Amino acid sequence: MKIFNKLAAVALFAILSSTPAVAGEKVYVYNWTEYIPESVLLEFTEETGIEVVYSTYDSNETMYAKLKLIQKDGYDVVFPSTYFVSKMGREGMLQPLDRTLLPNMKDLDVNLLDKVYDKGNVYSIPYMWGSTGIGINSDVIPADEVTSWKNLWDPKYKGSLLLQDDMREVFHMALKIKGYSSNSTDPAEIEEAYLLLKDLMPNVLLFNSDSPRMPYLAGEVNLGMIWNGEAWMAQEENPAIRYVYPKEGVNLWVDSFVIPKSARNFKNAHAFINFMMKPEIAKTCVEENGYATPILTALPLMEEKVRNSKTIFPDKEMIAAGEFQTDVGDALKIYQQYWEKLRSGN
Amino acid sequence: MKKMRTENAVIGIVSGWLLIFGVIPILLLVTTSFLTQDATGFFSFSFSLASYKQILDPGYIDVVLRSLKLAAATTLSCLIIGYPFAWFTARMPKNRRVVILILLMIPFWTNSLVRTYAIRMVLGTNGLLNKTLLATGLIDTPLRLLYTDTAVILGLFYLMLPFMILPLYSNLEKLDYRLVEAARDLGAGFVQIFRKVIIPLSLPGIFAGCIMVFVPTMGLFYVATLLGGARQLLVGNLIQQQFLNARNWPLGSATSVVLILLMALMLAGYALVIHRLAVRSRRS
Amino acid sequence: MKPVRFLFFTGIFTYLYVPIIILVVNAFNINRYGLHWDGFTLKWFSAMFANTGLMEATRHSLVIAVCAATTATAIGCFSAIAFNRYRFPGRRILQGTLMTLMMAPDIILAISLLVLFVVIGISLGFWSLLLSHVTFCLPFTMMTVSARLNGFDPFLLDAARDLGASERQLLGRIVLPLLRPALLSSWLLSFTLSLDDVIVSSFVTGPAYDVLPLKIFSMVKVGVKPEVNALATLMVVLSLVLVIISQLFLKERDKNEDIQ
Repeated sequence: MKIFNKLAAVALFAILSSTPAVAGEKVYVYNWTEYIPESVLLEFTEETGIEVVYSTYDSNETMYAKLKLIQKDGYDVVFPSTYFVSKMGREGMLQPLDRTLLPNMKDLDVNLLDKVYDKGNVYSIPYMWGSTGIGINSDVIPADEVTSWKNLWDPKYKGSLLLQDDMREVFHMALKIKGYSSNSTDPAEIEEAYLLLKDLMPNVLLFNSDSPRMPYLAGEVNLGMIWNGEAWMAQEENPAIRYVYPKEGVNLWVDSFVIPKSARNFKNAHAFINFMMKPEIAKTCVEENGYATPILTALPLMEEKVRNSKTIFPDKEMIAAGEFQTDVGDALKIYQQYWEKLRSGN
Repeated sequence: MKKMRTENAVIGIVSGWLLIFGVIPILLLVTTSFLTQDATGFFSFSFSLASYKQILDPGYIDVVLRSLKLAAATTLSCLIIGYPFAWFTARMPKNRRVVILILLMIPFWTNSLVRTYAIRMVLGTNGLLNKTLLATGLIDTPLRLLYTDTAVILGLFYLMLPFMILPLYSNLEKLDYRLVEAARDLGAGFVQIFRKVIIPLSLPGIFAGCIMVFVPTMGLFYVATLLGGARQLLVGNLIQQQFLNARNWPLGSATSVVLILLMALMLAGYALVIHRLAVRSRRS
Repeated sequence: MKPVRFLFFTGIFTYLYVPIIILVVNAFNINRYGLHWDGFTLKWFSAMFANTGLMEATRHSLVIAVCAATTATAIGCFSAIAFNRYRFPGRRILQGTLMTLMMAPDIILAISLLVLFVVIGISLGFWSLLLSHVTFCLPFTMMTVSARLNGFDPFLLDAARDLGASERQLLGRIVLPLLRPALLSSWLLSFTLSLDDVIVSSFVTGPAYDVLPLKIFSMVKVGVKPEVNALATLMVVLSLVLVIISQLFLKERDKNEDIQ
């Protein structure tokens, strides 16, 4: 018994004293799953000596709830979508960025700056932008069979669809089908969308926003919603998986870097953001994750196949048909109520 | 005097901990259920019964009913498999019994998340089960198992089986087999013996096992997330959503209070049954 | 009866073990998705060790498990002693609380503690995690120690008291040593429960303190991850070791009881 006690004490000591390399500089990054390649994080640490502590979330709402819970010692860099940037900015949850620490901003596409959700880019810098459209496994379902959001409602797809676990994106489909704006604040229009979505529910197999391409690759799902980047990544493993721009229009969104008020490593956060804006880094992110970057100087660096991919870079007509997500203000509550009803099977 | 000090220290530590981390949190929870949702925070200090009204919404009741059904199905399957398991094990010679129990416990000591993930690999469209069934020609196209209620039940059964077997086993182990033999000597058939002797004697074990499976099942949301898919399958998922996503703490708290009441009802029922059985056995 | 019984046990154990075996086998499979066997490799193990986030989370989990197990065993031991030997106001209520804690679904525990931490203002991280883990392990440690305590020969303690021993001496020199097997098995039980916990941790931990089950959960939410297979294999081995250790202690206890 004595020996065991001694062994236990030694083991305990070993575990607790293995606190060595943890005392250096850090930056806490809270991001969507599969949004920054591991190699990029390693390169950042090599270049700056700052360790990246990486956590993920799968929806803006979860991210927001988590940030509300952490009053201090929180995350340093977070990636909300446009309408959450405005919401969080309004509520004083974000810190203004220090331009002097972000020299690489000069490479940003001005078309994506100074937008209504953050005038003057006080709080945010765009990171990547993309769209939500239809994913299809063309080996199982012929690609020309599905050209519109409406196709998803077809009863023959009962119990087989994948939908994003994202309130605004799911409502986007219904609102566009009805001919309304996807940023509608009209309660009557939102209700119509909800009723339409009720009919879609029997066709849904699962909701997922973590890595939506996985169920496609595993063969569990052959049709549904998907982000363009996820479709791009899926194509690497199974070329049969395609991204379709439905005729009513895709949901276009922009995710931005922000620094929450509860961040503790202000300088490191800026170093991280500045690093991510380097053209070579932006190029790597695009090639691995399949989303578009606002860093213009990255484009010439990319392979032909990447630059010309319609999945990553939609052409003008596709963008015009789609709609960028913006803030809906207090109407968010209405969406929330209907979304809960849909998710609890009603 | 020394006696008082040690005694007080021990009592103090125990009471302190249980009070701060046991009693007070529950009280706070109940209080929160009567507050209102806040647009930017978690809850605001104004009394309201809105959360409880929302629970009576048919959508919510559906979720609760579905969870109860799933929990019941899991409990039943655990009972059907667990009872023979416990019975056979109790009848075995002592050294074999230990081996069987250890074999049962090893998966239990493995991380439950890992086990759920393993089941998920087996149940997938390209998973082992479908591959085997296809290979043996029993089916033509892969079964859709993953992301259904069936998958959730299979997963819960996988995790909860030991919780049913152990109470049953500890009860059946103490069963006086001579009673069974006596009944047989008196000419009773197997079915009769089972119904009239074995079942009544093992009722405490059965109830304990059922409660140990049913109650936790409602809260195991990660099983539903990994195996379930489309709907908020369990009450646990609802509560999690309310706290970590929708930020409606009053509603989440109210749902939890309902869960606690359901659980208390079951425990009270259990206590009643045990009491009745004790009274009956005392009389006979 | 015999063949039926054999088939039955084989069937059950197949169901219990096959998923785990598949997991372990695929940890060595070159093919990512485990769809078919492509060849033997150890690369997933090296990928796992290279994943700093995963390793950090593992370290955190082990630290919490050790601290929580030790604290819970200590307090559980005190609780068992207090409820068994002392009379004090509120005893019934506290006993009831402990029973409720054990029977309540983890999620209720998790959110009530979260509300507590938010109201008091404890920031979410190591301490909130530790306090929560101790709390849910407590009923189990108390019950384990209690079971053993109830089996004590009361005359032993009376004799010591007659010989002039103080309460402190009684506890320190007689009760605790005799309780040792129970203390060890409650420690092991708490350690396992803490390492296993997903539900409570997902509510009360903070950004600085990621724990293993949560890390695994976020990795497997949608699909197969080979590094997780490798990690799972190691965890299965760990469980085997823990079971063996706990069995050894049971044997030890039996031996001690024989001596007594």
